[in-house]
Amino acid sequence: MTSSIRTAAAAVVALGLGLAAPARADELTVGAFGGSFADNVKACHIAAFEKATGATVALKLGNSSQFAAAVRAGAGSPDMDVIFIDNSLAVQIRNEKLAEPLQRAKLSHAGEIIPNAWGVDDSYVVAMVSATALVYNPKLVKAPPTSWMDLADPAYAGKYAIGDISGTSGLQFLLALNKMKGGTLDNLDPGFEAIKPLAKGSAVLYTQADQLLSLFERGEIAIAAWYPDRAGVAMDKGLSLAVAYPKEGSVGILPVVQIPKGSKKVELAHKFIDTVLSADGQKCFSERAYIGSVNKGVTLSDKVSHIAPTGAALDSMWFIDPDVLAKQIPGWTRRWQREVAR
Amino acid sequence: MKRHGIALAGPLALVLAVFFLAPALLTLPTGFREYVPGQGITAGSWTLDAYRDIVSDDFYREVLWRTLGLGLAVTAICLLLGYPLAWMIARGPAQLRMPLLLLVIFPMMLNLVVRSFGWIALLANRGLINNLLTDLGLIAAPVKMMFNLTGMLVGLVHIYLPFMVLMLVAAIQNVPRDVEAAAMTLGSTRRHVFLAITLPLTAPGILAGSILVFVLTISALVTPRMLGGPTYRVMATLIYDEYMQMLDWPTGSALAFVLTAIALAIIWAANRVARRWAVT
Repeated sequence: MTSSIRTAAAAVVALGLGLAAPARADELTVGAFGGSFADNVKACHIAAFEKATGATVALKLGNSSQFAAAVRAGAGSPDMDVIFIDNSLAVQIRNEKLAEPLQRAKLSHAGEIIPNAWGVDDSYVVAMVSATALVYNPKLVKAPPTSWMDLADPAYAGKYAIGDISGTSGLQFLLALNKMKGGTLDNLDPGFEAIKPLAKGSAVLYTQADQLLSLFERGEIAIAAWYPDRAGVAMDKGLSLAVAYPKEGSVGILPVVQIPKGSKKVELAHKFIDTVLSADGQKCFSERAYIGSVNKGVTLSDKVSHIAPTGAALDSMWFIDPDVLAKQIPGWTRRWQREVAR
Repeated sequence: MKRHGIALAGPLALVLAVFFLAPALLTLPTGFREYVPGQGITAGSWTLDAYRDIVSDDFYREVLWRTLGLGLAVTAICLLLGYPLAWMIARGPAQLRMPLLLLVIFPMMLNLVVRSFGWIALLANRGLINNLLTDLGLIAAPVKMMFNLTGMLVGLVHIYLPFMVLMLVAAIQNVPRDVEAAAMTLGSTRRHVFLAITLPLTAPGILAGSILVFVLTISALVTPRMLGGPTYRVMATLIYDEYMQMLDWPTGSALAFVLTAIALAIIWAANRVARRWAVT
């Protein structure tokens, strides 16, 4: 690709993401997911970072694949200095040689982080632990669900929801089902067979996590393969929900922080990531977002650890090799488009 | 005269060339690169794989036909609904002209996302229409009106009808009333006057409005994303997904250029047909 194409592509992607204001010398541009995620990043990380460094942070909102597209389009001169991104796409960026390796020496909290949080060659570090699990309305579901297949219970016909494969939960539910039915990551036939009828009967194949809020609120669905952290936040707002981790094991979601190659503010970016990894930052984010922490020094409150993946739920959780995911997701997505969502 | 025309169109042509045509063409080579999932676009590669996949894959073909069919259907509905309305605006009582025009233009003042959300509120399984029908006891289970052809047609016709009407109003106003009056005095029926004189004379407007609506429909992204969802895909949503979700830019580029080429061919053909019709 010539540089002019890249510039043009960068411009197109930049337009898609909303034009960023011209960055000042002491301004760090951080890509983060929208909604309550961005609010929590502001409250837990940005405030502390700005206070400690005197620099300011400009937030850019998007989802993981949009950030990956933007980093590729930037091709070495990215328009973001730090991105929050799903681990499989962080591996993709690393494989495209567009990730700036993290320098643990520059991260004062590096030693407090669980060892397997680091990406290959330190190309990223996991920032939090979430999951795809079962979320249900206890007013409509009397006995707490225990298995992924409880979604197929005739009692919930038309009153359950699973995600489209474009969202993490949709993909992970497919993979969990596949594993249950004897499939492997090289052979998804059992998974696709099992999910076809489930997808057809789903009240909606949601593409945005918060689509389920109104469905739960109106009682249109009783149970869903969804995110415990979203459920926790919704419960704070008064929704009647509960979280169950299926006995087959839930699937882990690992949003990471990464520095795109070519960032002009690598030093400052490390300071921001250090803030994210700090016990204070982790604790604050976990408590607000109902999400697991990667800092060994953090103890979650009872309220949060009841919902976030901890203890036995964490031990039985399936963490899928992000490298395999990065290579396989496009093919699985195409198959889904043709066989499931057609 | 001719040179004046070029000079007048020059500035716009230049802007279009620099800011639209050039960036669009710069993405053309991307379609001939190899994409390796997990690794990215192979630098310096040259392959026809992406184009071959589009031809050989019945899913891509299905979406392509669906997109073109949707474009034709929306255009036809807009024309059928828009012509009488445009007629009313152009020939009807003068005091109705302004209010009617405002009503036509009014939806265009609202953001596309808001308008699509409006339709979601109306068409959803627990939307206003389904709730009303259920409460009246007319239906037992909700009628599915979203994530399928119905929702898409409703949403797109609503959005593009104004373009058609505005084009047709201008065309109908341009028809010389003397010609129609002359035909009437020579014994033509109203029906014959309309079919033999008015309709052919408004052909350029019909063509311009139809091309506009057709092109806008097949390239629409926001409304199909919201009302079509993950199960009812059109080319624009497919291209977006290839670029932004699967990161397979070569396939995305190839799909985009196939769509553009077909759209250009259809416009060219329509132009030829309409020209003949207008002449006879």
